[in-house]
Parts: sequence; structure tokens; C-alpha cells
Amino acid sequence: MEQIEGIKEARDILQAIVKGKKTFRMYPQNNPIYVKTLEDSYAKFRDFFDYKEKFVLQIKHNSISYDSEQIYYSDEKEDNLALFFFKDGLRELTFKKGLLQEELEEFFKIVAMDFDREVVDDDIVTLLWEKDFQNIQYVVDEAVLVDLDEEDYETKAEEELKEKVSDVDELMKAYAEGFKEEDVKGTSIVPITEKDLKMLEREMEKDSSNRIEKLADILFEIIYQSESKSDFEDTFPFLKDSIKFSMKQGNVYIVLDIMTKTKEVIDDPLFPEDSKKYMRKLILYAGTDEIIGLLAGLLDGGVEIEEKVFEGFIESLDKNAITPFVKFLGELKTIHARKSVIESLIFIGKKDIQALARGLDDQRWFVVRNIIYILRKIGDKRAIEYLLKTVKHGDIRVRKEVIRALGELGGREVIQSLRECLDDLDVQVRIAAVKAFGIIGSEVSKKIILEKISDKMFKERNFEEKKEFYEVLSKWKDEEIINFLMKVLKKKTFFGRAKNYENRACAAFGLGLLGYKEALPILNKYKNSNNKNLREYSYIAIKRIEHGQ
Amino acid sequence: MVSNEDKSDRKSAQDIINQLSVILRTAQIHDPNNIAVTTAIDRFLLLINPMIEAERSTTLELVGEFFYIDGSRIRYSLEYLLNFDFLVREFKNREIGSVIFKDKITPDDIKVFLKAFILAGFSDSPYEKISEVMEESNRIVIDRLKKVKEGDEVDVRKIIKKTYYNAVSYSKGVMTKIKSGEKVSIKKAKRIVETMVDQILEEEQLLLSMTAIKDYDEYTYHHSVNVSILSVALGQRLGLSKKVLTELGLAALFHDIGKIEVPYELLNKPTNFNDDEWKLIRKHPVWGVRAILKLRGFDNSTMRSSIVAFEHHMNYDFTGYPRVRKHSELDFFSRIVSIADQYDAMTSARVYSRIPMSPDKALSLMMERSGTQLDPLLLKFFINMVGVFPIGSLVMLDTKELGLVYESDVVFMDRPRVLIIIDRNGNRVKGPVVTLTEKDEKGNYLRSILKILDPNKYKINLAEYLL
Repeated sequence: MEQIEGIKEARDILQAIVKGKKTFRMYPQNNPIYVKTLEDSYAKFRDFFDYKEKFVLQIKHNSISYDSEQIYYSDEKEDNLALFFFKDGLRELTFKKGLLQEELEEFFKIVAMDFDREVVDDDIVTLLWEKDFQNIQYVVDEAVLVDLDEEDYETKAEEELKEKVSDVDELMKAYAEGFKEEDVKGTSIVPITEKDLKMLEREMEKDSSNRIEKLADILFEIIYQSESKSDFEDTFPFLKDSIKFSMKQGNVYIVLDIMTKTKEVIDDPLFPEDSKKYMRKLILYAGTDEIIGLLAGLLDGGVEIEEKVFEGFIESLDKNAITPFVKFLGELKTIHARKSVIESLIFIGKKDIQALARGLDDQRWFVVRNIIYILRKIGDKRAIEYLLKTVKHGDIRVRKEVIRALGELGGREVIQSLRECLDDLDVQVRIAAVKAFGIIGSEVSKKIILEKISDKMFKERNFEEKKEFYEVLSKWKDEEIINFLMKVLKKKTFFGRAKNYENRACAAFGLGLLGYKEALPILNKYKNSNNKNLREYSYIAIKRIEHGQ
Repeated sequence: MVSNEDKSDRKSAQDIINQLSVILRTAQIHDPNNIAVTTAIDRFLLLINPMIEAERSTTLELVGEFFYIDGSRIRYSLEYLLNFDFLVREFKNREIGSVIFKDKITPDDIKVFLKAFILAGFSDSPYEKISEVMEESNRIVIDRLKKVKEGDEVDVRKIIKKTYYNAVSYSKGVMTKIKSGEKVSIKKAKRIVETMVDQILEEEQLLLSMTAIKDYDEYTYHHSVNVSILSVALGQRLGLSKKVLTELGLAALFHDIGKIEVPYELLNKPTNFNDDEWKLIRKHPVWGVRAILKLRGFDNSTMRSSIVAFEHHMNYDFTGYPRVRKHSELDFFSRIVSIADQYDAMTSARVYSRIPMSPDKALSLMMERSGTQLDPLLLKFFINMVGVFPIGSLVMLDTKELGLVYESDVVFMDRPRVLIIIDRNGNRVKGPVVTLTEKDEKGNYLRSILKILDPNKYKINLAEYLL
């Protein structure tokens, strides 16, 4: 009865393992199902260990037994727990009383791995071995490690070795000479001292240094020792791998080191041109989607990259890196990462404005806006032709950015577009456009603004917009503008008085910005005006002129 | 998996052994009532009494070269290496196999143990003496050191042999597969090395003895495995963890993989190489890097193996090859592997040098290279590992018996276990295996080494005796 009971519990535990294998594959660690499966399974083991010291499973190709009783059978090729263990040589699995829940969890994590699909360099036995479980033991059949055609290697090798039987005469000679031969002393042993141990400790501490750095150095030594094109061809992929590996690990400084060394090779006049071709390819590789994607991941993950190293890496890139950077700009989640990518593009974007400008076609408004910002910061007039296409972009934020960029870039070709923007339906676009004209600061710009302000419809615009226009206008500190402003300030109308007061207030504001002292008498007069706007802005203007505020 | 609690237990166990060693060392200089001794005793009691309280008793046992506490083997840590070695030696001298501590131990109990321990050191029958004195205490019980049962050893030897040949067969397979462009399983390599690591930890001497058997026809494959075993064994002495030992074993196993590119005829050329041939041979480290990196993607283990493949002939002072433009300190593993590599190469028969060097001569030559070709510190550890009389040494005993060193003794390095191959009457025999630490009733050693001879000079086939 007791045995039957034990078997039933063994079956339950095995089912718990099967369930754990599935659950751990499907759910993350913080999922309640994951937690419950682990706790339930552990409870089953705990109950079992209440009356047994260990739980031993014998594993065969298609079955698992407990206490000689088969408790699991499957002849499936997939989802067969017995085969899963068996194929790596596992023949017996023992869980001992004292099993910790942490151990069971780690065990589940191992069995849940999809060894066929995942890139796992280890098999289940290695993973169990590495964990060094205190309460989970296993027996393996090492025969799986031997190729079929080498199965009897041991027997053959031993037989062959033993065939060469020692010559009895020689043996006897040795015995005889053993009495005669001069003493041959063994090697003198120098005992290990505390000082040796200290030195060893220091050596071992040093040993944790970065291997990829050393390997990269070795690969460059190999490059320098290469004698033929094929030598380069053979080594080149490993340098690529070094870049990828280092970037994956967050070691951007090693990538930079590789790039620097690559450039040294390229600049070395003694190096054959044929081989330099590979080195140039390496520079291009660093700017591919694959590598820039890894860098983007690092940035988004908040990995600290020393500023100098980051800049150095960006400087080392070729223009092919622009497109991947633009691509990842739209995918990054953190502001910090986006800022870094934008800074990078400001630097390398210069190398190919056209490539950078392709980002203006992106569907995401913020990407377009960032690209415009980058083009503006680069300040290359070749960008204008691309920017002009985005002036009519559907998103207002983009339009504001492009107008600003056009203003900063200046030039005849931007005037017409900006002029049209002064009449845009959106007030923000109109304000951006007038500001852009202000930045351009040319006579043409001045005339366009004057013309716009003088337009009879202009006074209908809201006060804030008008004020922006006057503010921009006051950047031209010339007589024409002073006269114009004085004229507006004094202008009185009978109809539409409220709107006229707004214009006069704006003019007062403008004169203040200009610091035109001759306007003080009239401004002092208007500071007591009945109109609130005129009164306020006259007062502001007076203060600015008198105190330079 | 080792939980934090387990780690702490292991540390406590190491501390207990260390502290016992401290007491015994201090008591050999000072009176038992001296403050240095009593302080050491107090610290020991603080460590052992909680353990006894939890388990009712605590057993410290010496098995082979290792201590066990309540059945768990206590790993050597570098920090305590000297004290561990001291305790092993003193236990063996007195034939103490285990000490059981019961109930709550008091300082007086320990003083009785100290008295017994010191008196036994001067006795011809140390174990009997210590037993006699220990009757004064019923809380500390000692037991005699157990001899290894021959039957057990035969079984273990079989397992070790299997591991060794699996590794050689794998090594052969790798080379053949790479040559024919087939895929090579690194998973298998890891498994093989892991098994070797386990066996080095448990049965270091047996696995080391396999490296003494050289196969002239399959030199390349045996050499890879031998270098791997010797490297792991040295790494173990240096206190490397199991995982790091595996990495070291893998790197050593693949250190010469670049040789697959060297033409077969050249590798097997019986005469000296000309300049061009040397140039080709010297390329194998570079070819090794490529071969390893081609085997699998980049990971820490591959990188380490590639570095070792590149550096193993560079020499500690960079006088070797390949020559590099900028020197950076050789990798720790490279320095280990180059010692193991030189030792195995020197003690193996090669096509161009049919008669190999005897192990002791090889060590002497290596010592001449200490600080130039070889790392002096690591070489010191290596020599301490292989011993004064390395396994496979042919020795003449003072009993007029001729034997082969079968197993080194970690503590008494000049007293290995020896397989008798000619008895005192001059008859050829195969066994027994004698332990040179054995003494007669008067405390005199039963056997001592008189002379060391070169087994190669007499064409002695070690496989015949050691396999």
C-alpha cells in the first residue's frame, strides 16, 4: 500500500516537472502562474520528503521510472521529457531531502530552455553541472560524447599501447643499473610561501581584465602579419565579430579602439591597397543597422558611455551610419538616448545631407522634426531644397521647426515659402515665419514684414500676433522703421478704434525695444491713455528706454 | 546551485579547519596556557560549538588529500592553502583519519587534544599514543586514517581511463572534422572537460597518471588532452573555481588546433626543420586563433581559447613566437598552458625525438627556463603539483625493488605511491602498489627512494603498468 502511495506521489511530482517545464517557458518570473507553479511543485516535493530521503528518477529513451515503476512514457519526438533528458546522456536524476525552492526554480529554468531553437552553447548536463546543485544530483552516460565510429577507441588504443610490451632484458638492465648508476636526484621542491600566495592573488585579480580587448589586439597583430589577400579575408570576419561583441557588451571604448586601429592600417602607406579594402569595409560595418541598433539599445538601456569615447566612435563612422541612426531615432524610448542620437547625427549628418534629409520622409512627425532640427544645427544650405518640401507638413510642430530652420539657413530660395507662411491659417506658423524673417534680417525681409503690417487686414489679427510682428520689425534699427513706428503710434482713427489702439500699443512696444529716446515725450503722454493696452505698453517702452530694461 | 546559506556554511567549515591548524601550529611553539594558544582555542570553539549544537556532533575527516566536514568535502581556498596543507601533513603523520566533536566542547577538551597531538608527534606509534591520551576526553573522539581499498581504486581507475580516452577520441574527432569541413560540437568538448574537472577535484592523481602514458602514434591528440589535464590540475592548485577550470581546460584542449593547417608530412618529418618549414610551423598559433573563432561565435570561452592558442609559444619574456608589435602581459591561462605544454611535449616521444625526456629531467630544464620562457610563480606551483618524483618516474627503492611512481603524495612529496615492477629478488612483477609513507613499528619508513632512473632509456612501456 505504501509503495503504491509512493508511486502516486512520484507521478504527481513528475507531472509537476512537466508542468514547470511548460510554465517556465511561457511566463516571466513575476507572473503569478509562474510563482504558483513553482510553489505547488515545491510543496509536492516537500510532502514527498516528509517520509522519503530522496526522489530518484531512472531515465530511458522514452520512459522515466521511479522505484522500477514506469511513471512516464512518451514516444513523441517533441515534448518528450524522457527523451529530452536522455539525449544528452542523463540517465538518473536525484532530488534529495533538503531541496531548496531556489534550486527547484533554477532546475525548472534549465529544463524550460528550448535547446533546439535557442542559441544555447550548453546542453542540459552542462547547465546542471554549472549550477552545482547541492540537492539535485544526476548520473550521466558519457558514451553520448563519443562518435559512433570511435566507440571502441579506448579498447583499441589500450590494446595497441599494451602490445608494445616492455623488453624484459631492458627491464633487467634497468634493475641491474639501478644498483650501479649514480644518484639522480629528483627536482628540488621550493615550498609555496605566503608571499607566493599574495603574488598569485594579485595575478588572479588582474586576470579579470577584458578579453575582447586583448583578442582585438591579437587580430590586428594577425592583420599586420598577413601575407596574402586570403589572410585578410580570413581575419576580417573576426574583426567584425569583435565589433559586434564589444558593442553588445556595452564596451564602446573597445569598438573605438578597433576603429582607431583600422584607420591606422588604412593610413599606413606600406599596407597593400587590396587589403585596405577590407579595413574600409570594417569602418562601414560599424555604421550598419546591426551595430547602430546595438548602440541604440545601449543608449536606451541607460548604459553609461564616456562622452569622449562616444564622440570618438561617432567621429570614426562613415556616412553609411546616417540612415540607421535616423531609423533608430524614431524607435528610441528615452529622451537621453534620442538626444545622443541627435548629437551624433549633427556630427555625421554633414557627411551626407541627402541621406540625412531622407529622414524628412518619415511617417512619424517627431522624427521629421528632429531631422529638421539636425539640419538646422548643421547649417548646410544644401539642406534647404529638402526642407522646403516639409513647409506644408501636416503637423504644426514640424512646420514651426522647418520655418525656424529656413530662417536660420536664409538665402533667397526660402523667402517665397516663408512669405506664404505669413498668411497661413495657423497663427503659430505665421509667428514662426515672421521670426524666421527676423533671423534672416535682410532688407527684403524687412520690406515683407512692413508690407504685411501695413496691410489693412493686418490690424484684424489678434494682439499677441501683432506684437510678435512689431517685435521682429524692431530688429531693424533704422530710420525707416522708426518713422513707421512713430506714424503708427500717433495714428488716430474714428472707426475700429479698439484695433487701432492695439496697433499703437505694438508700435510703442517696438519703439521701446529700439530704445528710441526721441519717442519719450509722446510715450509719456500715452502712458496715461484711457486705453489699457496703449497705457501699459507705453509705460513698458519708457522704462526700457530710460533704464535699458 | 549554492545558496547563500550554503556558501556561509562552507566558509565556516573552511574557518574551522583553518583555526584548528592555527591552534596546532601555535601550540607547537607555545605552552597550551599561553594567551596565543588560548585565544586561538576560544576562536575555534566559537566556530565549532554552534555547528555541534545544530547537528549534535561534527566530524572532521581526512580522505585522500581532502578534508570533509560531516560528509561534505571542504574545498581549498587560496587564503587557507598553507594551513590546510599543514593539517593534512600533521594528520597523516599521526595517522589520524577523523576527529568527532560531540556535545559542547570546552577549552579543556581542546587542551587534551593538543597534548595528545603533540605527544603523538614524538611517538613511534603515533596513532596509538594519541588514542591513549584522548581517553581523557569523551567529547573528542578520533579514528584511524583509512587506507584506500584496492577494489575501489580499480573501479575509479576504469572510470578515469574512460574519461581520458573519451577526451582523446573527441580531440581526434575534432581535428578530423575540421579538416573535412564538418561541424564540431563544442557542447561535447565542454562535457568532456567538465568530467575531467570533476575527476581532477576528486581523483587528481589518477587522472594525472593518465598523462604519463604517451602514445607515440597519436601524439597530437594525446598531447591536447594531456595539456588540458595538466592545466586543469594546476588551475585547481591555484584555487580556480569549477567554471573557470572548465574554461581553462577547453582553452588547453584547443591550444594546438592550428596545427591542423600544418601539412601532415611536415608534422611527421623525422629530421630537423629547415627555415621555411619552421616558418610554417610557427604559424600554427595564428591558424589556431582562426580555427577556434570559426568553430563558434564569440563568447568569453572562445575568446580565451583563441588568446591561449595565439600566446602559448610566445614565452614569458616574449622571446618566442609569434612576434608582436606591442607586448601586453600574457594571459594567465596562456602562462599556465605553456607550462603544461612544455612539460608534456618534453616527456613525450616525438617523430624527431624518439626518446623523450624523463619527467624529472624535463622539470629540471623547465626550472632553468623559469623567469625567461616560463612564469616563475606558476612554475613553482606546477613543480609542487607534479612532485619531486612525477608519475611515471622509474625509481629504485632501498629495499632493492624497482618501481614506477604511481601516484604523488600532495603532502609528502618525496614519498609517492609506487608500483613495484621488479621485486627484491629480481623477479619481474606487476604490483603491489606501495605507499612510501608507511612505517614499521619503530617508526622507520618501510621503503624510501634511493635512485631515480630514466624509464625511456630502458624502453619501459608505461601503458603496460599504468593503464
